[in-house]
Amino acid sequence: MRAFTSFMLLLSSMCLLTGCSPFASDNTVEEIAPVTFLSVEAGGEKGKLKVSTLVPPVMKEDKQFFSTNVTLLEQGRRSFNLKYYREIKLGQLRMLFIDEKVARNGIVSLIDTILTDPEVSPRLYLVVFKGDFEAFIKNRMQQQKDLDYYLYRMFKHYEKGKQGEITVTNIHEFMEKVYSPYSDPYIPVFRVDKDNFRYEGTGFFGNGKLKGGTDKNQDQFFQLLNNYHFLKNMIITPLDVSLGEVRSRVTTHVNLNDHTVSFNIHYRGRIDEYRGTKDLDRQVSIYELVDELEGYMEEGTVSLLKKLQELKVDPLEIGGQTMAPASKPMSEEDWIKFWESAKIKVDCHFELEPLSI
Amino acid sequence: MFWKKKSKRVRHENKEGNQLFQKSKDLSIAAVKGLISNMDDGELIEHRINKERNITLIFIRTLIDVERLNESIIQPLKNCSEDMIHTCIASVKAGALSSLDEAQKLMMLGHVLLDDGKGRWWAVPLVNTLGRSIEQSEAETILYGPKDSFTEQIDQNITLLRRRLPVTELKTEKFSAGYLTKAKVVLMYVEGIANPDIVDIARKKISKINIDMVIEQSNLAAFMEDHIHSVFPQFQQTDRPDQCAYSLGLGKIVILVANTPFALVAPITFFHLFQSPEDYIHKWMVASFLRCLRYVSYLASTTLIPLYVALTTHHYQVIPLQILFVLLESRSKLPFSPFWEALFMLLILEIIKEASLRMPSKTSTTLGTIGGIVIGQAAVEAGFVSKVLIVLVGIAAIASFLVPNYLLSKTNTLIQFAFLILSSLLGFPGIVFGMIYVLAHLNGLSSLKQPYFAPVAPLYWRDWMDFFIRAPIPWMKKRPAHVHPLFKWRYNRGDDH
Amino acid sequence: MGDFILFDKTAQLGKGYIIAFANRSQMLYFILFLPKFLEMPYSLLGILAIGILSQINLFILSKCLSSKYTQQGYQGFADLLGRRTLRIIAFAGIAFIFIKMSLIILGYAEIVHQFIFPAMQLPWMILFIILLSTYIASQGMEKTLRFGIIAFLCTFWIILLYIPYFFPPGAELHDLYPLIPTDWSHNPWKGILMVWSSLSGPEYLLLLLPWLNSKQKMLRYLSIANAISILQYLLLFLGCLFFFGSTYLGKIGFPVVNMIRYLQSPVFERVEIIMISLLMFHYVFFISVLLLCLYGAIRISAGTQDKETTRKGFYAVCLLVLAGVFFIQSFYWREGKELNGWANVQLWSGAFTYLLIPSLLLAATKIKGRGSSL
Repeated sequence: MRAFTSFMLLLSSMCLLTGCSPFASDNTVEEIAPVTFLSVEAGGEKGKLKVSTLVPPVMKEDKQFFSTNVTLLEQGRRSFNLKYYREIKLGQLRMLFIDEKVARNGIVSLIDTILTDPEVSPRLYLVVFKGDFEAFIKNRMQQQKDLDYYLYRMFKHYEKGKQGEITVTNIHEFMEKVYSPYSDPYIPVFRVDKDNFRYEGTGFFGNGKLKGGTDKNQDQFFQLLNNYHFLKNMIITPLDVSLGEVRSRVTTHVNLNDHTVSFNIHYRGRIDEYRGTKDLDRQVSIYELVDELEGYMEEGTVSLLKKLQELKVDPLEIGGQTMAPASKPMSEEDWIKFWESAKIKVDCHFELEPLSI
Repeated sequence: MFWKKKSKRVRHENKEGNQLFQKSKDLSIAAVKGLISNMDDGELIEHRINKERNITLIFIRTLIDVERLNESIIQPLKNCSEDMIHTCIASVKAGALSSLDEAQKLMMLGHVLLDDGKGRWWAVPLVNTLGRSIEQSEAETILYGPKDSFTEQIDQNITLLRRRLPVTELKTEKFSAGYLTKAKVVLMYVEGIANPDIVDIARKKISKINIDMVIEQSNLAAFMEDHIHSVFPQFQQTDRPDQCAYSLGLGKIVILVANTPFALVAPITFFHLFQSPEDYIHKWMVASFLRCLRYVSYLASTTLIPLYVALTTHHYQVIPLQILFVLLESRSKLPFSPFWEALFMLLILEIIKEASLRMPSKTSTTLGTIGGIVIGQAAVEAGFVSKVLIVLVGIAAIASFLVPNYLLSKTNTLIQFAFLILSSLLGFPGIVFGMIYVLAHLNGLSSLKQPYFAPVAPLYWRDWMDFFIRAPIPWMKKRPAHVHPLFKWRYNRGDDH
Repeated sequence: MGDFILFDKTAQLGKGYIIAFANRSQMLYFILFLPKFLEMPYSLLGILAIGILSQINLFILSKCLSSKYTQQGYQGFADLLGRRTLRIIAFAGIAFIFIKMSLIILGYAEIVHQFIFPAMQLPWMILFIILLSTYIASQGMEKTLRFGIIAFLCTFWIILLYIPYFFPPGAELHDLYPLIPTDWSHNPWKGILMVWSSLSGPEYLLLLLPWLNSKQKMLRYLSIANAISILQYLLLFLGCLFFFGSTYLGKIGFPVVNMIRYLQSPVFERVEIIMISLLMFHYVFFISVLLLCLYGAIRISAGTQDKETTRKGFYAVCLLVLAGVFFIQSFYWREGKELNGWANVQLWSGAFTYLLIPSLLLAATKIKGRGSSL
């Protein structure tokens, strides 16, 4: 029992002698300002970055927008600290907005820096933006005080829902794909101006650099080919139809001898809205519509895949198909060489769920 | 654990003390009269029977049943012509006395001393059984189940137990404790089930007690506990005869102390303190859920506030963003750091709790109002504490009431304070440090030399039937292993019984 | 209670303790960065192979454990090896035990430093861990071993946290290819050695024999423990492969801990902070057992094993350990993502003790048995 006493004595004495505290830093919540996002743009000079953020995070205080030109990312935080009365902390960093120009020059080293900070969670959403992000924030922060929080909620919602409305990528997924030989990362691309923050499509990366992206229409095909294989809502303007709850089942086959990559895709969905000329009460016209849909899907998918070939990226991890338990895997360069020149065969099948009325 | 027992010194003084009360005089009327000198309620009645015989009755009026004095002793003696007059007193058994010491003892226990006029002394028991009637248990109330509880009358308590276990194997061994109180202590166990080693340990521990006063069961427990420096009770204290009878049947021992309505039950484990008689009344799934709820709420009552302090001082990353914003807003203008804030609130809470126990029940509404509104709401509005903390303090306080054992539910306060300091220093690892310490401490404890943290350590798998989950009673075919019962099976196995 | 008795014995500890002890001893510090060194998917086979080897070794160990010499504790060992040799061996054992213990302490302190409190000064953590272990150990060997069950129950379920990683979209089958090595550009030997070294630990049961119930099927329990450990290794490694992919895995410092950072629960995000804190149960338990072993070894090598254990002596040993760990901490700092010299020492010493002690001891009993029967 003396151990207990001495233990308590030791503790209480340590508590009293605060000068002897084991810590050099303190994270008491009222003294820190955990920022939720950082935005990175190209700085004025060459090789410099412009880092900005919004403090404080949601509170009934006036928001301040900070931005500074730095060479190192940490420098940004430091300079914010010098300006602000609370210490800026990155432990709650949820979003990283990267300017398109920066993204085109490569962002792996930037992300590495962020990942080395043990405080930062690997669930950090990556976003590429085109346009003037600063103007957007400055304009909106007056009207909507917890703007950054709602942006975060939006990403979280679409990540959880897996509904293919927008692409969501976090820092871990990005890095895993960067290092994995047969897959290339992708990041959502947003267009911002003073009033809007609009989803534009998915941006594809190769070797850590932004190569190109989809438009809103192509993005639907990408969502159906990619991980989630689901679209909550697919709008097909040429056919005047909107489909709901579209699911896809994709089987990919890589034939190294034939130099072809074939896709066999089964779709299943429901007609949400139809403004076309066909009379859907007739079975024949349903068949016609299905045929048209299949044709449309094939065309769209092929054009997306061609684009990926042009960009020399493989975000769909098709290269993984070439692996087998006992064979020596292809090198990354070999695969990309194969991929950019491979023949593509796409076969789509569409199943429409029975109309409810 | 590291302090040597200081009981030796007590024992030494005790010897002198005993001499103070020893009178080595012969048994004579003068000497017995001396015993009741300066006693207002000491009475001496001289009575002449058969003309030539003078008998003397000496007794303490407040200790004997005065109404029965006439019919039991005086009337029979009036017509007594026998030489040995005790044969005339048929309704109660008179015993011969040989020494003044014995006379004094018996007189103080409610006997009437009787001098037959020929130099022989008798003691006739005529004990006053004044006491409370059997009432409902207040410490452990249950809805469906037996409502009776022990009273201060030890014989009545034994009756309650004997009625529940009407077998001759139920043994009662009598001891007396305290040289001033001379409290009757009864050790009860079921022979053939209870392990004789454990009974022996208890027997030795009781007979070794050497102190002036044993007023109630806790005095006794204090001397019998293996680890006096632990916050955890090593004896279960209950006033429910059904609980005691159940424990006896499982092979435990029960110790009753005179003039107190609580019995001590041992050996127990830490987890026993979370069991309520109600567990065996509910359906097993409900009972299991309630039991788990109790463990969780005990854990919550000890760690909730420390967790708050750990999160707000060290691990802001752990808090989900939504909650963090709430915290940031409620804490942004507070004058105290989370640690001091929590410490103050906990102290205030303890003050309120303690006050509500000590206050007469009529004032408790006032107390509730003051405690709830003035201290809670006003403190928030004045900006001393955050709303979040008030909510957590409330939850922790209510959670602490879920533990059926009152003594155990009081330990959480101390643990909470220790955890609070640790968490403010080291955050989560600090709390885990505290937990390891508490668990290691529990692991080292014993109750009547039997491990306190069974069935976890040592591991008794079959006791897990009655642990986190309370398995259906027909499944519990064996008595708990940590009691080491002589007869393991709970059901009748034909040839054995 | 007044006497300070560390090595008394009142009850025999059964199968639960053996399984818990053997399993926990195989899940110590190395497991946290083992996947990084294994890296390629075909190392799965390596783990399996080492698991089988370890099983054979445990078979030998269980033979040793059930021999009549080892059953008697110190006296038996003295009869078997001679007092003088035993003293020398005990003296050498001090080094091994100390290396193992200091690596666990330093490794854990480092993880805490890296993931939870980057600003914390390491000596504080070390001090706290040793204080706590000293407290547990001072309750005596029997209660310390009993604490093993608590440690086991408090940490075993951590493996369940890795289950989410086995589901798509994170997990894809081609993450596990190639399963059969096709070229030897990546050198897996260090990883394989680390698996072996990490599996070492059950040999410490030899020192705990007097507390164990000798009448039980030791081999079966050891096999169960070994199988559980191998399963856990495989699970962790598979989870890492699924989560990081083999190329990225080679670049991660503590993959097993880093993975957990990705988990989120509705109440707590950053589950790794909680997990790392809970791991302490397991380390503190093992350190306290090792402290007692160290104290015993020092007593034997000093020739005072027949005297009573003293509080002063035990605390002196603990203080020495504290001083030693501080000393090592100030000299061996881990830089980059590779192992430091000290971890390498433990890598080899662990592998060495696990490989040689059971077989050598078995050989000694056989020779002695033959000698005495002649």
